[in-house]
Amino acid sequence: MLGSLKKGMLQPKGVKPQINRPLKSISIGWSGWLFVLPALIFIAIFIFIPAIYVVYLSFLKWNLLSLHPKFVGLSNYVHMFQSPDFQQALTNTLILGVGMIVLSLPLALFLALLADMGLRGTRVYRTILFGPYVVPLVGSGLVWTLLYNKNYGFINLTLAKFFQIHGPDWLGTQGYALLAVLIMSIWQYLGYYMLIFLGGLQSVPQHLKEAAAIDGGNRWQTFWHVTLPALSPSIVFAFVVCTIQSFQMFDQVYVMTGGGPDGASTTLVYYIYNQGFEMYNIGTATAASVFLLVLLALLSWVQVRFSRRWVVEE
Amino acid sequence: MKAKSRVARWLAHLTLIIASIGILFPIYWVFVSALQTNTDIFSPTLHLLPYEWHWANFVRAWQSQPFGIFFLNSIASNLLIVVAQLLTSSMAAYALVFIPLKGKGVLFFSILLAMMIPMQTTFIPVYIILSKVHLINTYGSLVLPFVGSAFGIFLLRQGFVSVPKEMISAARIDGASEARILWTIVLPNVKPALITLVLLNFVFHYNSLFWPLVSTSSTNMRVIPVALSYFLNQEAGQNLQWNLLMAADLFSILPVILIFLLGQRFIVRGIANSSVKG
Repeated sequence: MLGSLKKGMLQPKGVKPQINRPLKSISIGWSGWLFVLPALIFIAIFIFIPAIYVVYLSFLKWNLLSLHPKFVGLSNYVHMFQSPDFQQALTNTLILGVGMIVLSLPLALFLALLADMGLRGTRVYRTILFGPYVVPLVGSGLVWTLLYNKNYGFINLTLAKFFQIHGPDWLGTQGYALLAVLIMSIWQYLGYYMLIFLGGLQSVPQHLKEAAAIDGGNRWQTFWHVTLPALSPSIVFAFVVCTIQSFQMFDQVYVMTGGGPDGASTTLVYYIYNQGFEMYNIGTATAASVFLLVLLALLSWVQVRFSRRWVVEE
Repeated sequence: MKAKSRVARWLAHLTLIIASIGILFPIYWVFVSALQTNTDIFSPTLHLLPYEWHWANFVRAWQSQPFGIFFLNSIASNLLIVVAQLLTSSMAAYALVFIPLKGKGVLFFSILLAMMIPMQTTFIPVYIILSKVHLINTYGSLVLPFVGSAFGIFLLRQGFVSVPKEMISAARIDGASEARILWTIVLPNVKPALITLVLLNFVFHYNSLFWPLVSTSSTNMRVIPVALSYFLNQEAGQNLQWNLLMAADLFSILPVILIFLLGQRFIVRGIANSSVKG
């Protein structure tokens, strides 16, 4: 096979291929779809059909057990938007999203700038900082639960010993549970965003920075007028991905707080899970799913537009 | 950016070292807690090292629940996902890149569309569909929803584009079948992309709690993340053995940490080059 391939490659281009090409492409035309079919069938069954089905379900009143779901039009949506639980879940999710963007992205950018200075050992720093991203959220959620423990957790013991502060019951207090989830999530995702920025920084042309330096710009001016604009695609990308990730948060909430206390850390996905698989309110759960679906699809659309720009570079 | 002054470099090192310690600390804490007695974990005095080292905790944790089965479930279901996805994605990517298809635009669009629909919004219908065919609480429910992956197709497509088109047409002239070209010419030439997909996929599915939590119910179908979360739920309250839980946590996260350390360059590249999964 390999021998014949090499022979084939050595043949002069132009003559033989031109004769063969029309024939080949016709016969390939059909088999091409056969190649796509396996993936497409599974994507259709497990992504497209469910996406349509979920919209249909959101118009029904159904608790999984009853045999006859009732068509109720938009009333699931009306109930959902009026429900304090949903409003709280939406608010919590927005707070997490904004918190992640405002706190973790600048921090990640800062670390990326440091990791881009050409220091010795940068690879080690990068490995360590990115590490948490590959740790399962359940695994890290568990240890953070221990760190957050009210009386014996590392955080509160440290606060008491070095700052004489009586730390709160992080996971069990209304005002703190969401903050605790946020801090843990920043720890988890920080290195990932750093990596995105690092990729962006490494594509900033060196001569631009040097030119700015020659022009007498100080480092801050160079950063502001050269690096940051050149980095804007990765910033937008990180911004969108961060929002998407925040809107999908579930695992760490499930493990650390169970959405509590009293819904204080319930996210949208947790709300859907709770309504669907604990309360069996399929109507409400699917209405919330559709809401989230539209939101995330819009965000992903922005993301795809930006990642396609990246693809073109290759 | 080349930092000029010695002080700037020194400060940068210092900041990165502090950040690294902060990031590593929770992982270290899993390790330390796993080695202590439960009483020592809940001692009111701050201590960074165990008072006594109880290595047997790992054995006790392993025996406290059927972790062998949980690991088997995790690894078997994830391998099935990875292999199936590699197969369907490489075939689809091959068609997208090398075969002149009619309606490629539609195909491209539908793959993009599939990437925009996350599992968290469609899991209720997926659950209903799978329960109609009695696959809930089986390997089928863990694996089938992920056999076709828009993300996989995209990632591989990026690798396939770099394979010279001349090699493909030369092989066609020699009369090689499309399947054969994919298997003997394209795939060997895109090994890094394949490895990236395998590693990202394995880590992603090994880590994910959400769908396995929804789609399995019996103890013998649990995967690692579900098992860990149940550890917490079942024994909730005062007598939860946190040291054993942390020991279980440690051996549960060990596989992904090893994969990350060994395959770092592929994972990092995959993240940097492409968009994201979840």
